[in-house]
Amino acid sequence: MAEALYRANVLVCGGTGCASSESLEVISAMTKEVSRRGLEKEVRIVQTGCRGFCAMGPVMIIYPEGIFYCQVQPRDVQTIVEETLVKGRVIGRLTYKMPDSHKELPRYQEIPFYSKQVRITLRNCGIIDPEKIDEYIARGGYEGLSHALFDMSREEVIDEVKRSGLRGRGGAGFSTGTKWEFTAKAPGDVKYAVCNADEGDPGAFMDRSILEGDPHAVIEGMTICGYAVGAREGYIYCRAEYPLAIKRLRNAIAQAEEYGLLGENILDTSFSFHLHIKEGAGAFVCGEETALLASIEGRRGEPRPRPPFPAVSGLWGKPTNLNNVKSYANIPRIIVKGAKWFSNIGTKRSPGTAIFALTGKVNNTGLVEVPMGITLGEIIFDIGGGIPKGKRFKAVQTGGPLGGCIPPQHLNVQVDFDSLQEVGAVMGSGGMIVVDEDTCMVEFSKFFLNFAQAESCGKCVPCRVGGRRMLEILTRISEGNGKMEDLGTIREIAKGMQTGSLCALGQLTPGPVMAALQYFEPEFRAHILDKECPAGTCKELVRARCINACPAEIDIPSYISLIGQGKYAEALEIHREKNPFALTCGRVCPAFCEDKCRRGDIDEPVAIRVAKRFMADHEMERPWTPKKLEGPKDKKVAVIGAGPAGLTAALRLAQKGYPVTVFEKLPIAGGMMVVGIPEYRLPRNILNKEIENIKRAGVEVKFNQELGKDFTVDGLLGKSGFSAVVLAIGAHKSRRLGIPGEDLPGVYHGTQFLKDVAMGKVPDMKGKRVAVVGGGAVAIDAARTALRLKAKKVHIIYRRTREEMPAWKAEVHAAFQEGIQFHFLTDPVGVLGPEHVTGVECHLQKLGEFDASGRRRPVPIEETEFEGAEFVLDADVFIPAIGQQPDAEFLRNGNKTVGVNKDSTVTVGANLATNLEGVFAAGDLALGPATVIEAVAQGNKVAVSVDAYLKGQPVERPKFFTEFKEIPQLYNVEDYAEAKRPVMRELPVDERIRNFEEVEAGFDEQKAREECKRCLRCDLEWLESMGLQSKAKKVA
Amino acid sequence: MDKMINLKINGRQIRARSGQTVLEAAKAAGIDIPSLCHHPAITPHGACRICLVEIERQRTLQPACTFPVSEGMRVETESPKVVEERKFVLQMLFSERNHYCMFCEMSGDCELQALAYRYGMDRWTYQNPYPKIPVDGTRKYFIMDHNRCILCRRCIRACGELAANNTLGVKFRGAKTMISADMDSPFGESTCVACGTCLQVCPTGALIDRKSAYAGREAQVERTKSVCMFCSVGCGTEIISRSGRVLRVEGEWEEHNKGVLCVAGRFEPVYDNRARIKAPLVKKNGGLVPVAWDEALDTIAARLKTTKANKVGAWTTCKTLNLTMSEFVAVFRGKLGANVGVLEPTLAELELPVGGSLTELVSSDCILVIGADPLSDHRVLGYHIKRARARGASVLLVTENNDSTMGRFADRRFGYEELPRAIRTIQGCASPSVVYGAGTGQKAAEQLGVLKRKAHFIPVFPATNGYHAKVLSLQSGLNSTPLEMAYLLLEDISPGAEVLEWAKKAKFLVVHTSYQGPITETADVILPSLLWSEQEGSIYNLEGKKAAVRKAVPLPEGLIPENEVLTQLAARL
Repeated sequence: MAEALYRANVLVCGGTGCASSESLEVISAMTKEVSRRGLEKEVRIVQTGCRGFCAMGPVMIIYPEGIFYCQVQPRDVQTIVEETLVKGRVIGRLTYKMPDSHKELPRYQEIPFYSKQVRITLRNCGIIDPEKIDEYIARGGYEGLSHALFDMSREEVIDEVKRSGLRGRGGAGFSTGTKWEFTAKAPGDVKYAVCNADEGDPGAFMDRSILEGDPHAVIEGMTICGYAVGAREGYIYCRAEYPLAIKRLRNAIAQAEEYGLLGENILDTSFSFHLHIKEGAGAFVCGEETALLASIEGRRGEPRPRPPFPAVSGLWGKPTNLNNVKSYANIPRIIVKGAKWFSNIGTKRSPGTAIFALTGKVNNTGLVEVPMGITLGEIIFDIGGGIPKGKRFKAVQTGGPLGGCIPPQHLNVQVDFDSLQEVGAVMGSGGMIVVDEDTCMVEFSKFFLNFAQAESCGKCVPCRVGGRRMLEILTRISEGNGKMEDLGTIREIAKGMQTGSLCALGQLTPGPVMAALQYFEPEFRAHILDKECPAGTCKELVRARCINACPAEIDIPSYISLIGQGKYAEALEIHREKNPFALTCGRVCPAFCEDKCRRGDIDEPVAIRVAKRFMADHEMERPWTPKKLEGPKDKKVAVIGAGPAGLTAALRLAQKGYPVTVFEKLPIAGGMMVVGIPEYRLPRNILNKEIENIKRAGVEVKFNQELGKDFTVDGLLGKSGFSAVVLAIGAHKSRRLGIPGEDLPGVYHGTQFLKDVAMGKVPDMKGKRVAVVGGGAVAIDAARTALRLKAKKVHIIYRRTREEMPAWKAEVHAAFQEGIQFHFLTDPVGVLGPEHVTGVECHLQKLGEFDASGRRRPVPIEETEFEGAEFVLDADVFIPAIGQQPDAEFLRNGNKTVGVNKDSTVTVGANLATNLEGVFAAGDLALGPATVIEAVAQGNKVAVSVDAYLKGQPVERPKFFTEFKEIPQLYNVEDYAEAKRPVMRELPVDERIRNFEEVEAGFDEQKAREECKRCLRCDLEWLESMGLQSKAKKVA
Repeated sequence: MDKMINLKINGRQIRARSGQTVLEAAKAAGIDIPSLCHHPAITPHGACRICLVEIERQRTLQPACTFPVSEGMRVETESPKVVEERKFVLQMLFSERNHYCMFCEMSGDCELQALAYRYGMDRWTYQNPYPKIPVDGTRKYFIMDHNRCILCRRCIRACGELAANNTLGVKFRGAKTMISADMDSPFGESTCVACGTCLQVCPTGALIDRKSAYAGREAQVERTKSVCMFCSVGCGTEIISRSGRVLRVEGEWEEHNKGVLCVAGRFEPVYDNRARIKAPLVKKNGGLVPVAWDEALDTIAARLKTTKANKVGAWTTCKTLNLTMSEFVAVFRGKLGANVGVLEPTLAELELPVGGSLTELVSSDCILVIGADPLSDHRVLGYHIKRARARGASVLLVTENNDSTMGRFADRRFGYEELPRAIRTIQGCASPSVVYGAGTGQKAAEQLGVLKRKAHFIPVFPATNGYHAKVLSLQSGLNSTPLEMAYLLLEDISPGAEVLEWAKKAKFLVVHTSYQGPITETADVILPSLLWSEQEGSIYNLEGKKAAVRKAVPLPEGLIPENEVLTQLAARL
C-alpha cells in the first residue's frame, strides 16, 4: 500500500545518545501534539537512527526545509508544532549557534559539524526510518545486490571490491577484496560470511549506530559478500548490550526475507543466503576474529594462533570471510557507483571515509564520518568545535584502548591507516577520545591498560601476565611510589608483549602506555621524581586540585576556610608560609588555582584570588616580622635582583638564619612587580608594604648595584666573602619583531615602555595613536597604560585570534571594555616612517596548520581579486610586546661563564644550580617570562637548594615543604550548594581610563567570608579517602 | 602420501612432511625447541609462547607448535630475538604465582624449572606479591595446587581430548584466570573420574600425586614398562618405583591406550592394604602354620595322588599371565585330568570376532555397545567411546540396565528385542564398531553376525586375560559336581560368596593367592602368589595383542612365581 504524501517530515534522532537525553519522550509528545491538532495526515514523525551530533541531542530535522533543532525537550514540542509546522517560522532558541559568534544556523547543511563530513557509510543514518525497508530501498538500497547478482560474476564482484581499495574498517586495514578472494578460492563447499559487530571499545558506537540506523546496508553488504565468496550462510556477531541494534537487525532480516532479498533464491536467482544473529556476551577479545568464531561455535571466546586463517579454516573449520560492520556497509555503494568512485575519496592508500566516535573534552561530541586524509586538527577543532571551557588541547586517543595518544605537535597528521601508525597510534575501529590539560597522561594510559588487561582472555602468557605487571608498575607510579627504572621495565614488558602475544589484543595492549611515554615522559618523571601529578588527577598525589595547580603549592583550602571563619591573621600566616606576596598576588595572580577549582566543575570556581586580596588588605596595616626558623649562620648569601624570585629566596634564606644581601640594579625594589605591572593593577604603596616585611626578616637590599658594572659574581664569591649567589635578574629584554622600521623614533618596546612609566619617565602619549603588537600580558598592560596616558586611540595587533591570546582573559575583556581596538589575525610587516612612526603596515592572516603548541599557525592570506590582504594602520607610537627574554649579555663577563640556553635563559638543573659552583638561578632568568607566583615558587625552591648546598648536602630535587593544616569545616556545606560567586566591584570604565586608580575594588567582608564557604574542601575529603582521617571532622 | 617440504631451520636444510608443524619438523631433525603448553598427545595450543621462533617474513614471532611448515621457509629457533622473548615469558611466568622452586615437590623434575635453567634465569626481574590461592585437596589421589599452575591447560586438554571427560576448564579471564572443574566445584566433588591423565601431563608441581609426593626426585626412580592387570583393556603402563617400592603408575604413551589409564589401574592398586600372604601355610591342628614350599607342595601332591581326578576341581582367575594359565591347564587337565575352569566369563560362547583396535574405535562414525558397561569396568575403553562421540560418532547402547554408566553418553538406547533396529542403523554407517560384553547373549550374538564383515568388533572380557582363556577354550563358571579337592588360583582377587560356598564344599582346599581373606580362612593349604608389580610374563590385551608384563620390584623373599609353583607341583605328581 502506498504511503500517504506528507507536507512535512519531522525526523527525530532515536540513536542511543539522543534517546538517553529523552528523544523518545519528544517523539511521543510530538505524536500527541500532532494528533491533537489533527495534523496526522500532513506531518509525519520519524524516529531515525543516530545522526551523529550527540552533544546537541536530542536533535530534530524538519523537512522539506531542512530546519535543524538541537537539545529539543518535550516541553518545546508545542512551540515547534505551532511555530514551525503550522506557521513556518524558525525558532531561534532551538537552532544551533556558532560557539564563538553565537550566530544562529537554522539549516542542517550549514552547521560546521556536518559541513566538513562526507557521509557514505552513514549516508542513511538519521535520514531513514531504520525499521522500514522501503525507505532503504527508496534511497537506492539493494541496488548493489541486484547489480551484483544480475550483471556481475563472482570474480567481478571481488575484483570491484579489490580495485576500490577498501581496507578493513575493523581497524587492521587489510584489503577487503583480497580477503574475499582468499575465502572464495579456499577449497570447500560450505563457506560462511561473518560480520563482526562486537564493538567493545569504551566510548565507541560507530557500528552500533549503523546497525541501529541503517541495518539493511550491512545485510546487503553481507549478501553481496556471500555471493562473491560462495557462502550460503552468514552470521552477525553482535554484542548483547546492543538490544536495539539486535531488534532492528532481526526486523530488517525478516523484511529482507519477505521481499525476497535474503533467504532462498534471492531475487529468483539460484543464489541463496541465510543470515543469523549471534549475541555475544560482551567480551572485548571476541572482536578478534578467531575468538569471535570460537564464540559463535559456543566455545570460550579465545583467539587461536593463525595460520590457519579463517579464510581457510574458520567457522566450524570451514572457509569464512569476516569483516567489520563498516566494511560491509560500504559494499553496496561500491558496487553501485563503482570502484573508481570510491577510490577517489580519501587518500590513495586509504580510500573512502573513516567514522569516528568523537568523545571526551571536545565541544561537539558525536559520530563523524570524514574522508580519509583529513587532519586530526580539522576533526577536533572544525568538526569537533575545539576544547570546552577554553582549556588547552592535550592529546587525542585514537584506536580505543589498544590505540595511542597523539599530542598537539601531531595535529596536522592525516587520518588514515598508515599515517596514524607512524605517530604511534592506530586507526582501530574508530574511537577518538580528546583530552585537555586537566587529564594526567599517566592516569589516562592507566585507564586503558586497566581495561585491556582486564579484557585479556588469559590464554597466552605475555598478555595475561605482562598486562598485569605493567598495570602494577603504572599504579605504583601514579601513587607516587615509582622508580626511574620502572620506565625501562615498562618498555621491556611492552616489547615482550608486542613480539610475543598471541593476538592483537596482547600485542597492542602496551600501545596507549607507550604512546603516552613517547610524548609525555616528563609527566611520568614528575610522578616518579617529584611525587607530583601536574594535571592534578592522581588521587594519591593531589591533596586538592587548587594546591596542586598553584606553583607555590599554597595550602589554599586552609586559608580560604579560615577567611570564611573570619580568622584573617591565621589565614594570612598560612599563606605566607609559601608566599609572602599576598597583597600583590591578591591583585595580579592569574589564579591557576581557580582554573582547576572543583567547584568550577559545578558552577563557578571559588573566587580565591579576590578572597585572598580581602584577607591581605584586612591585615595590611599590621606589620609582619617573618619568623626565624633556624639559628644564625656564618655563611653569607648574595641575591642579585629584587624581584619576586630574588626577594622570596632572600626571605627564606634569612628565615634559615643566613645573612642575606640583595643587589638591585634599580633604585626601587620589586622587579617586574614594580616596573612591569601598571599601578592601576598594583598600586606601588601596597607592594612596598610587602617588601618592607621581607626586609624585616633581616634582608639587606642594596640599590643601584648593577651586575657586571658595580660588582661581579666572582667578586661576590671571592673577596666579598659570599658563600653562594642566587641570580634572579628576570627577563627584561624585549624580543624584536625583525621588521623594517623597528628602530624609528616612536617605537617603544613593551617592557621598556612600562618600566619608563613606572620610573616616572612618562613618554608623551597624549592625543597619539598607539599600535601595540602582541597577545600577552605585556601587550595588554602597555595598551591600557597608553590609554591612561591619554592616547587618542589604542590598537592591539595580534596575529592569531582572541581564543589563542596568552593574556589573562579578564584583562583582555577589560581592555575591550575600555575601548581598545583589537586587530586579530593581523601581522605587522613594517613600521612606516620616514622620520618618525606614521603607521604600521599589516598583513591579514588566516589560521593554517597546527603548531607544536596545538594552536593553529597564522599564515598570510593570499591576495585575491576582490580582497586586499594588506592594510596600513595609522599610528604615531608603535609598541612591540611579543615577549621578553633575560638579558644574558652581562653574564658573559668574567672568566667563568654561566651556561645559557638558546632562549637566553640560564641553564639550571632541577635544583636550580648553574654550572658554576655556588651559583644558582631562579625566576624568569631560569624559567623565561612567567608570573609572580611562579617566581615565588622558584624563590622558595632555590632557597632550599642553597641551604642544602651550604650545609654540604646538596639536593637533586629540592622541595619547599611546610606542614599542611587541617582546618575544620564549621558549617553545613549543603547550605552553600546554590550560592553563586559574587561579582567584584570595579571602577566604571569612564572613570578608570583617565587615571591609574586601581580598577578592581575587591570584596567586602561579608561577601568574602560567604564566598569562601563555597569551597568544597577537597583537602578534607582527600584525608578521609586516603585513610588519614583528619582530626578536623566535617560538621554535618 | 604426504608431500615432502624443504625448509631451513637454523641454517640447516630440513625435509619435513607437509602438514607438520615447525616443532614436529625440528624435533624430527633433532633440533630441540622448548615448549611448555605443548604435549604431543594433545592438540597444539600456542599459548605459553615458549616455543616462539623467528620465521622469515612473519611480522611477530610465531609459535612452533602450531605453525605449519611450508616450502622454502626459514626458521631461527635460538636467535637473540627469540631467546630474549623466551626469557621474558619465563620472567612473566615466574612473576605470576608462587614459583619458589625449592619448596616445590617437583623441584628437579619440573619443566618450567628446567627451562629457567636452560635460559640462565638466575633472578626475578618482576617481583610480585603473588596471590595466595588455596590448595584444592578434595581429590583422593592427587592434589591441585593453583599456586604452581602456569595455566598451560595441558590438564584441560587431556581431560577433554584424552579422557573425553571435559571436567576441567578455565574460569575468569586475564590475570584472574584459574583452572576449575565443572561450574567451579571443588575437584573432589566434580564430575572428575580420577583417571589421573591431567596429573600425568602437568609440567609443573600444580598437580601432585599424594602417594609419591615429597618422596624424592625423579632422577632416583626406576621406570618399568608393563601392562595394567586390572581389566582386559590391558593398558600399557610405566611403573615408577624406588628401592623396591612402587611409587605410582603412569600410562604408556606408545601403547594403544596412548597414555590414558583409569583410577583402577593408576591409583587403586597402589593403595591396596590387604594383608599379604608371605609364605606357604598348611593347616595343622586346626590352625594354619607357615611351612617351607616343599612341605606345602608335598602336602598338596600327596592329596592329589589320593583323590580321584574327577573329584578334583582346579579353577583359576583369568587374571593370570599367559604362561601361568597354560601351565595351570597343562598340570591339572593335561597331567591329572581333573576338572579345570576359570572363574570369570570368557565370551567363548559368543561366536563373534575380536581384534578391533582403539584407534579404529575412535575413528568410527557409529558405535554399538551391547552387554557391556565399559565406563564402569573398562573405563579406558569407555573414554575412547566418548572420544569417538566427541568427534561426531553416534553411540547406540543395547542394554536392559537402566543404571548403565554409558547411558548418559548414548545417542540412542535399545532393548535386546530392538537389536535388529540398532543393527539396521549401524549398517548404514561408514565405519562402525561393535563393543560387546558378557551380557550379549547367544541370540544377540547371532543377530550381530551380519556385521562381521563391516564392523570392528571389540570384546569386553570381564577379566584381564579373558582373551587367553577364550583361546584355551576354558570352561567358565563353577562346576556343580561335588568335589573332594579344590585348587583355586586367585592371584590378588577376593572371590565372591558363590566361590566361597563352592570352595567350602570341598574336603580339601588349596588357595593360591596374594592376600588373606575369607577364602583363606577355610583353606587347608595356602600358597602365596605374586602381585601385579612383581609378575613377569605376558597377557593378551583387548586388541588381542600379546603384551609384556614386567617385574617392577623384586620379589619378596621366599616367593615363587605361580607358573613355577605349578611346575614344581607337577614334578611331584
